Amino acid sequence: MSEETFKSVKDLPSTRLLCGGTPMCSGCGALEALHEIYDILGKKTVFVNAAGCMTLLSIYPFTPFRGSWLYTAMASAPAGAQGVRDALDILIEKKQMPPEDDLQVVVLTGDGAAYGMGLSSTSAAIDRELDFLYICYDNEGYGNTGQQFSAATPHAAKTATSKGPRGYPGYKKDLFSIWAAHKPPYVATVVGSEPLDLAKKIEKASELKGPRLIIAFSPCPTGWGFDPKLSVEIGKLAVKSGVWPLKEYIDGKVIHTKIPRKRVPVEEYLKVQGRFSHLFSPKRNEELISEIQARVDAYWKEVEG
Amino acid sequence: MYRIRFHGRGGQGMKTASRILGTAFFLEGFEVQDAPRYGAERRGAPIFAYVRASKEAINERGIIKEPGLVIVADDTLVAMPAAGVLQGVTEDTVILIVSVIEAELWKDRLNFPGRVLTVIPPGEGQSHERAFTGGAIAGAAARLTGAVSKASLEEAIREELIPLGTKVVEENLEDALSVYEFMAEHEGCVAPGTAIAVEGFTPPNWVELPFEDARLSSPAIHAEATSEQIKTGLWRTVRPVIDYELCNRCSWLCSTFCPESAISVNEDGFPEIDYEHCKGCMICMTQCPPHAISGVLEREAKGGEDNET
Repeated sequence: MSEETFKSVKDLPSTRLLCGGTPMCSGCGALEALHEIYDILGKKTVFVNAAGCMTLLSIYPFTPFRGSWLYTAMASAPAGAQGVRDALDILIEKKQMPPEDDLQVVVLTGDGAAYGMGLSSTSAAIDRELDFLYICYDNEGYGNTGQQFSAATPHAAKTATSKGPRGYPGYKKDLFSIWAAHKPPYVATVVGSEPLDLAKKIEKASELKGPRLIIAFSPCPTGWGFDPKLSVEIGKLAVKSGVWPLKEYIDGKVIHTKIPRKRVPVEEYLKVQGRFSHLFSPKRNEELISEIQARVDAYWKEVEG
Repeated sequence: MYRIRFHGRGGQGMKTASRILGTAFFLEGFEVQDAPRYGAERRGAPIFAYVRASKEAINERGIIKEPGLVIVADDTLVAMPAAGVLQGVTEDTVILIVSVIEAELWKDRLNFPGRVLTVIPPGEGQSHERAFTGGAIAGAAARLTGAVSKASLEEAIREELIPLGTKVVEENLEDALSVYEFMAEHEGCVAPGTAIAVEGFTPPNWVELPFEDARLSSPAIHAEATSEQIKTGLWRTVRPVIDYELCNRCSWLCSTFCPESAISVNEDGFPEIDYEHCKGCMICMTQCPPHAISGVLEREAKGGEDNET
């Protein structure tokens, strides 16, 4: 297979490998991205899942996966992946397992682990050129425990630990660039609401060897404060407003895979989410809205040159 | 001691209700415990919260097994064994159900000898966007015990909800006071229960497991896709219904976007919804290009056989 497998949405898989019955919230953007990713990767995978919302997927004796899954502490999923990769390599080397039974080792963590606690072990795994795929579902906070802010939380967002009138004072960490600075074979951003772009990138990543890292933007109805039915719409708005750039790092270059030619104002994206409601009510906070818009504009000015 | 258990769905404000009621009791000079209980469940899933209040020190801990008052914020939970609405009720228990169905009918259906009350959800028949607030539920409980004054209820709502903004406070106050008035004729119908003596305590039925090494004792699952057995369709309050006349067999966008993998594509390219697992997020409805999917309130849905078991 090649990247050409997915030319149009008509080529997207119509079989669903990840099964239902999970305890994820209704309208979960992370689960949506995960099932789209799983349909491409297939069941010959081992998911190494750091503590977070998604560890609730497999609660004994129930699992939605058709392949393997295991659970690690929050900061150590890449270390767990190293162990699994080594074990598989040894089994193949000793001819105790035929090479065609080999499994793709996939780390699955939230942004709390990816942007924060697990960043060191990820960095080390990239240094060791570990052959693995890292999927970070980024819902911009510690969603599983009630949406406290994380290093992925955007500026001004209200979280359980940033309730003031200006929201979160920090800025979302640029994990894509941090990962890319290690010069791994592949880094990409995706979102479940852009399934074709997602499919192409997962396909490309699964054909490469070595550390490949994906950040999946994951609208979170519970943590961000919106009606679950708007989950996909908000993902689309994040792309159309330029808040979430879809891009990949490959062969030492960053390529934007979907450039919104006419960006919708960030306001359209912000105003549909409870976590930004303090920017609009009781009084419009022009200063903060303009600041967020200016940062997005500056980003794209640099991209478009 | 008052023992009050709130049943609802994640997102309906049961935790908020328990906190408001707990604070209101506290303002009346009671010793109080209030806590929600939820595990790996999410918005839409059955959850419960509880309050104990007593003029004496409270030595009981954990979930309430013998409630004096049970409040059910979503009547679809009553039939759901997992919700455990009727757990531990006796003829002295008062059950209040937020429902359009009359109390007498519920009493019959449940074959329950004690008092059953109902309160009609606001805006019934207009919108499914806004359910009862936590304040309304707390207001009902406050009046039924007869131990909480209107002033304490108001103060508790302000104290608990002010971080959420004045609009939330006002909505909750409005709902709480209207339900507080509505329940006037039943004031004090919930009698305080007596404290359970230490001597009468029965330890839980714990199973003692011998220590085994990791190979044996780790919870390994040796089968695939077992979560299929969990019927998350029970979380659903609104049901997506496909109009196959309008469906244009696009590239199964509804199926791709459905987070639950609950929409499959049949041989003819038409999507089919698995109502046993659909949580009713309604993403499919908002994303269907020809608008072939509509939302029907679950209790009004026809042929709801998938959801009856």
